[in-house]
Amino acid sequence: MDPNDVLQQILLTAKKSNVQSTAAGFRRTQKRMVRFSNNSITVTNSWFSEIPTIYLVSDKRRAACVIEQQDREGLGKAVEELATTMRLTPPGDVIFNLPRGPFNYQPVAGTWDEKITTAETELIDAVEVGVNAAKKEGAVRVSGVVTTQTRERYVKTSDGAEGSDRNTEIAMTIRAFVDDDASGQGIALATNFRQFNPEEAGRTAGRIAKLAVNPQTGEAGKYQVVFGPSILASLLGRVGDSASAYSVDLGLSFFQGALKQRVASDALTLADNARLEHAPGSTTLDDEGYPTQENCLIRDGILETYLHTSYTAAKQKAPLTGNARFDAGIGGMTPVPHNLILKPGQDSCDALIDRAHDGLYITNNWYLRFQNYRTGDFSTIIRDGVFRIINGKVVHPVKGLRLSDNMIRILRSIKAMSTERNWIKWWEVNTPTLTPYALADGIGITTANK
Amino acid sequence: MNVDLAKLAVDHARGLGAEYAEARVQSDLGHTYTLKNGTPEPVTIETKLGVGVRVIVDGAMGFASTNIIEGERVRSATETAVRTARASKRLLASPIRLSEEESWEDEWDAKMKVDVRNVSAEEKFRLLFTIEKSLVSENVHVSLPSRILVFDEQLTEKAYVNSEGTRLHSFVPRLSLVYYLTAEEPGVGVVQRFRHEAQSRGWEVTSEWKPAEIAAGDAKILGRLLREGRAAPKDELDVVLGPEVTGIVCHESCGHPQEADRILGREAAQAGESYVKPDMLGRRIGTEHVTIIDDPTLPNSYGFYLYDDEGVKAGPRTLIEEGIISDFLQNRETAAELGKKSNGASRSSSYDREPIIRMGNTYMKPGDHSLEELVEGVRHGLYLKNFMEWNIDDRRYNQRYVGLEAYMIENGEITFPVRNPILEITTPGLYSSVDAVGKNMEFSGATCGKGEPMQSAPVWTGGPAIRLRKIHLG
Repeated sequence: MDPNDVLQQILLTAKKSNVQSTAAGFRRTQKRMVRFSNNSITVTNSWFSEIPTIYLVSDKRRAACVIEQQDREGLGKAVEELATTMRLTPPGDVIFNLPRGPFNYQPVAGTWDEKITTAETELIDAVEVGVNAAKKEGAVRVSGVVTTQTRERYVKTSDGAEGSDRNTEIAMTIRAFVDDDASGQGIALATNFRQFNPEEAGRTAGRIAKLAVNPQTGEAGKYQVVFGPSILASLLGRVGDSASAYSVDLGLSFFQGALKQRVASDALTLADNARLEHAPGSTTLDDEGYPTQENCLIRDGILETYLHTSYTAAKQKAPLTGNARFDAGIGGMTPVPHNLILKPGQDSCDALIDRAHDGLYITNNWYLRFQNYRTGDFSTIIRDGVFRIINGKVVHPVKGLRLSDNMIRILRSIKAMSTERNWIKWWEVNTPTLTPYALADGIGITTANK
Repeated sequence: MNVDLAKLAVDHARGLGAEYAEARVQSDLGHTYTLKNGTPEPVTIETKLGVGVRVIVDGAMGFASTNIIEGERVRSATETAVRTARASKRLLASPIRLSEEESWEDEWDAKMKVDVRNVSAEEKFRLLFTIEKSLVSENVHVSLPSRILVFDEQLTEKAYVNSEGTRLHSFVPRLSLVYYLTAEEPGVGVVQRFRHEAQSRGWEVTSEWKPAEIAAGDAKILGRLLREGRAAPKDELDVVLGPEVTGIVCHESCGHPQEADRILGREAAQAGESYVKPDMLGRRIGTEHVTIIDDPTLPNSYGFYLYDDEGVKAGPRTLIEEGIISDFLQNRETAAELGKKSNGASRSSSYDREPIIRMGNTYMKPGDHSLEELVEGVRHGLYLKNFMEWNIDDRRYNQRYVGLEAYMIENGEITFPVRNPILEITTPGLYSSVDAVGKNMEFSGATCGKGEPMQSAPVWTGGPAIRLRKIHLG
């Protein structure tokens, strides 16, 4: 299937159907995955897909379609049906245009590794390296996943934007157990084999699991907490979601009405940067064909901008940010961060633990749910090594705890960050996130009462 | 639907040396209609169509898929599944085996009296506008600054073939109505309500849901919570859980921990393992009032299916019987490892996902109490009718439900509303506190997430109201 033929077919049919503006997309994706548990491979997976996407705008109406349809006739019919459905839809709230091209897209270096496109047995080798490294640290059972992804993306719009990019990614999540109560997680994430380190991920998982043996039952209360990169990336993922102008529009953002206001301590500066070299989420253009850029979301604690599509930018009278992503769910085209980058601090991780003095060191979390998206009240399970800090030292692991707090309050309570940063992306964290460790004050911790 | 492509994949895999092969051609057609604060959002249409093939080669398992519906590409995907499985053999602790199961040739579906494909987009938006109109502040007496109303339809067709002679064809339409309401009272605060109605039926179900009436009722309650809600007490009390809470409890702390793949550690790096171990069949976990069933064959249910995605005939499975762990959810791999038969719990969310163990419709078996009788038996307690926030740890032991609509019970009578009561409790702590079970069942639609890559499975969670004794709220 020739991507240019597909895009042309979509645009021509939409024009014949009197659609005002059209963004046509095409994604070709090859993914491979090796899953393992109990030190043994459980399944190998391989997926190949070619997917056209269609986004139509006419007056105040919008419609979106993803269609896994291979022939020209079927594609044309899908566009016609979508245009008809759109015309039957009552009008929306804003008149807007797609970005007016053409644009000059600047490539981002380090997003492609040819070796990843053909790797198969290399994934199995990575599993072996990771599992052995974890076992060497003392792990008894090791589970996880190694994934490669090769993606080509093409965008062409009726408004003159036309471009493409491609990227590769290799990732490992590894979880080591010494026993049921003692686990640790490690992550390796890169755009190329050279920077991919499954051994370090395995070592980290094994080392944390070994430290987590014989946990004491924790107590509820307010704690000074040192957040490891994995849990911090999970929380920042929700910050990224709430910074989406579409979340604000839906009334599901804890940043509602907070633009240019303080939402975090002055220790916190967070950017979305699609232009970062060797970063897994980097890309040259968004799905409306607008060039990507670096957007500082929070600078020294002040919320500087939301992320936008053409629709949200027009509605909120804001400039485009290059974050439009086609979505077959609610919204059709919604703003999404590419890479979340948290500015590092000046402390070592040990110095943060020393400064916490009496508190907790939390490495990871899972299963975060909001009580209220607008206020940011939520709780999440903390797992894979939670440690009590007493007199500035990690003294013993604890178990049975839940982080129950408010997102804005946590952001405002961050006091310091480490110099060391890690890339995080795994089952719980969708957006590639580069984050340090962080020290925060007065974090709510709860336990079961029966 | 081209079932020949599935047969081609299976035959090709066998020719390449696979001891077992199965293939599925699957089409998923989804339409989503959204109203945001009275304004239509884009209609979105998603068509997924492709072939997935799973093989066992030298005891190793491989899966591959393609959405290029051509014989050559299906052969290529099959070769990839066989080749990568074979290569992974060197890191295989022991060969993967499947339980022996009966072979079937059958066709099954869920019926639509009114085919949702014949209902116009205008009609579907009309449904949402009817709800929207019911939410005006003059009617519900509270400000609703955010109202997200969604109607979603998903039509799934599958053709399944395996190397043991099973041939299946199915069609299931799934309709959902979801709303998300945010109520605000100046100077008091903000509360939010999420509701999900869902069934495997045609358009006729939308009128039975009475969505405008229910949404307006929910909105009025949000207003009352804001105006009259008081803090939850901290002393020991009894708690009556409404059917919506009973449903999520059964799903999270019975269904999930009794998935045999979690018990055996296959999901350890993602959704986690389980506090339940293989030798805990027959172990008491709750009072004799607690019987929990997962039944994918419930007619019209959101989690409806008659055969699973390994070709095994499905039926009800009693996971906890009168307080005792009585069964696990099994696929053919876990059943073989545990010396059992599969009970048909293997599901795949689309053509490009391997089947894994999932729930269908999980609920607590009704008892003989009316809600009034459950409440009458409480001197000092709380009626926790529904919830917003919830989660549970990855061994499914320590769980939390934050109530939304909740009321104090004093001397057998429901009194004033309570804001955000928190039930934070262990699984045996919860089930061993149940002393009475209601007789009126209710089900909610839900989308369960599991697996890597993530697979979303439509399920029902349900049950009657239940009463817990001697609880401390958080």
